[in-house]
Amino acid sequence: MKATLIRPQDISKPSKRLAQIRAEDLPPLPPPYEDFNTKTLTELKEEKIANVEASLDDTVAIGIPKPRTREEEEKYLKAFLSGLRKLFEKENNWTFLQPLLLSMDHCAKCQTCSEACPVFEMSGRQEIYRPNFRSEVLRRIYRKYIKPFGRISAKLAGDIDLNWTTIARLAELAYRCTLCRRCASVCPIGVDNALITHEIRKLFSQELGIAPKEIHDKGTLQHLRVGSTTGMNPMAVKDSVDFIKEEMEEITGYKVEIPWDKEEAEVLLLHNAGEVLAWPENVGAFAIVFQAAGISWTLSSEELGYDVVNYGLWYDDVQMARVAVKHAEIARKLKVKKIIIGECGHAHKALTVVADRVLTGDLNIPRESALVLLDEIVESGKLKFDPSRNDFPVTLHDPCNVVRAMGIVEPQRRILRRIAPKFREMTPHGVDNYCCGGGSGFAIMSGYNFAEWRTLVSSRKKFLQILGAFKDEPLDVPKYVCAPCSNCKGSIRDILEYYQARERSHIYYGGLVELIVNAMAGMKKPLIKFEG
Amino acid sequence: MRIYKQNKLPLHLRWELYPVKHEAGKKAEYGGSYMEELNWWEKEKKSSLYNEIRYMVPEILFLRGLKKENPRLWYISFPFHFGFYLGIGTLVLLVLGAFSMILGFPIAPGQGVLSSLSYYLTILLGFLGLTLGTVGTAALFRRRLKDPELRNYSSFSDYWNLAFIFAFFLVGLLAWLFHDHAFDGARAYIYSLLTFGGTPAEMAGNRTFLGTLSIILGSLLIAYIPLTHMSHMFMKYFIYHSVKWEDTPNLKGSRIEAAVLENLGLKPTWASPHIGADGHKTWAEIASSGPKEKK
Repeated sequence: MKATLIRPQDISKPSKRLAQIRAEDLPPLPPPYEDFNTKTLTELKEEKIANVEASLDDTVAIGIPKPRTREEEEKYLKAFLSGLRKLFEKENNWTFLQPLLLSMDHCAKCQTCSEACPVFEMSGRQEIYRPNFRSEVLRRIYRKYIKPFGRISAKLAGDIDLNWTTIARLAELAYRCTLCRRCASVCPIGVDNALITHEIRKLFSQELGIAPKEIHDKGTLQHLRVGSTTGMNPMAVKDSVDFIKEEMEEITGYKVEIPWDKEEAEVLLLHNAGEVLAWPENVGAFAIVFQAAGISWTLSSEELGYDVVNYGLWYDDVQMARVAVKHAEIARKLKVKKIIIGECGHAHKALTVVADRVLTGDLNIPRESALVLLDEIVESGKLKFDPSRNDFPVTLHDPCNVVRAMGIVEPQRRILRRIAPKFREMTPHGVDNYCCGGGSGFAIMSGYNFAEWRTLVSSRKKFLQILGAFKDEPLDVPKYVCAPCSNCKGSIRDILEYYQARERSHIYYGGLVELIVNAMAGMKKPLIKFEG
Repeated sequence: MRIYKQNKLPLHLRWELYPVKHEAGKKAEYGGSYMEELNWWEKEKKSSLYNEIRYMVPEILFLRGLKKENPRLWYISFPFHFGFYLGIGTLVLLVLGAFSMILGFPIAPGQGVLSSLSYYLTILLGFLGLTLGTVGTAALFRRRLKDPELRNYSSFSDYWNLAFIFAFFLVGLLAWLFHDHAFDGARAYIYSLLTFGGTPAEMAGNRTFLGTLSIILGSLLIAYIPLTHMSHMFMKYFIYHSVKWEDTPNLKGSRIEAAVLENLGLKPTWASPHIGADGHKTWAEIASSGPKEKK
């Protein structure tokens, strides 16, 4: 049975849930995963959500406290409208004013975007996840409450009521889109619903101080305070990297040096600090490749210098700018020639593309993707490879921020064609790829049952793509999903775990540089182990 | 007005989306960028107008993107849009014809090659444009009404827009069918506009209700479209060139850097405490300071 069609104006009508995820609506998984086709989200306990906004769907991303009084509610509404006005002011939103206006004013409501959205498709076409749904809600509020003659135009161009339910659901709804921008890439006009989602998030953060704690409190605030979103201080990161060095030497038999704070190096390598904790072999593999290729490089032990993430990209321009400025200041202080961004997709986009129009003068230090440098190293012949060491099926996940947002498509493929004889593409791939489901902060958000929603809904398409890429391989053959992005790795790790893909199909995952080191001739032991 | 406003907006942060079709060589096809090159900032940025035109011409004329992504809609949207294009083409021919008449060269069969060509081409384009426009608009109206995915998001103004356009195309088609088979009346109207009220001798006293109505509807439509989302017809230029394909890097000493510096001097008033904005501090000061709330 299909859910009743929800209209944009229904967002303001109080109800227990506006939408519900049902197992029978979700696109089925193929064998041997049919038993997951009856799985749905664990119901949130009433006592857990009694005091927070949870009336959008079956999950909660932010957990906005409900107002206790009418005055408090009014305060929220006033602040929302004030923030909405600021989105359309040059002083407050020069950062995205033009793209926002163009997307707000020119949508033909043809719904072409919907078919491109993996969240909409994989939720069983839940109306509230349609890319245009939240945009249309914002358009109607803007027209009615901000533009002149709003009450009249609401009658002509679409009405909506503004109340606590509207804004609280809209804030939550802004965190049901991974900002992958597939919708924008298929729009016949070029309207960008993901950008509108980004602007809604920004309004809530910059005006009302509302954002998921994982990306704000434990994210950018902790990053700027401690030095890393992981909570690691400089001493902790140095200790961890020392340990990585020893581990790598033991595994590879390769004596590796990891330089810290070396002034005037050619390259300052900025890692996502999550790699240090969750995928230390990635950090070690970079060190081995750079050393073997004779690259003059360094890591930074200064606060923020060992964590390239920039969660501000997803929700808050000011936080994004602050983090980017810090990264640039560290590079300036070390007098390096360029910054190389490790395997972290959103950091690629934040530091190279978006912050390009924040950094000026001597802060405008060249920034480059690690994939480009790795490609150059592999092609240069400086390293000797034995591709037979990678004699297992490999597929490549394209991080949206690296391909669609930055146009880095071929370097990673050139590398894989050289070192992975059984490399095959996912369908579709490159700039047409599907998000891992963890984009825009989802990979690190796990409050309430959000991680389950991600695995069941937003990452489902990626899981189907992975299974599709390996469909002709026997189940017992080890397979490798190469994901050159920390957040993507995080969500792929979670889907492989949730669906028991390692046990059932022998699917493993990891980064690109690990595959490079694994194929290097002369390594004592393989870096990639299919075990555990 | 819309175009003027666009040109006055401040430079925004980069938000391009690949493939960017002015990239040179194969990059435009697979979606690669100049950032795929090692030390790209030391190299000359190559771009290809040919690649851009090769993409844009079929996109504008034949709505290639819509055909690929939403073929069901394309079958009715294409005649609607192409009807408009042919209508614009007809208007251009009518204006040229009116100028020709002012210069003493009437537009009619047997009046020389150019005159005959203009005469018959106007009929062909005009008839096809009005027919495709009428059929396309009616089909779009029906789809919007019948398809729940479209109806759910449609408002009175969406139906009104289509009804208005349909009325123009239909009245124009009827005027052609019953009175103005060669668009002589329409050309005479342009002639009178260009000559501030003059009337070609052969057209004196030849006004018809349908002809007059189609001219009124057409004029109102030209004034109305820029006020609506249908302005995407020409605003698409900005969507693509100012956002989707706007990949100009910020190089030291460039006009981009100058515009960025100007923006960083603006004074925001965002109210969230962590921003620390007070209407006096600039973006540059705020971005180079820590957030206010620290735990």
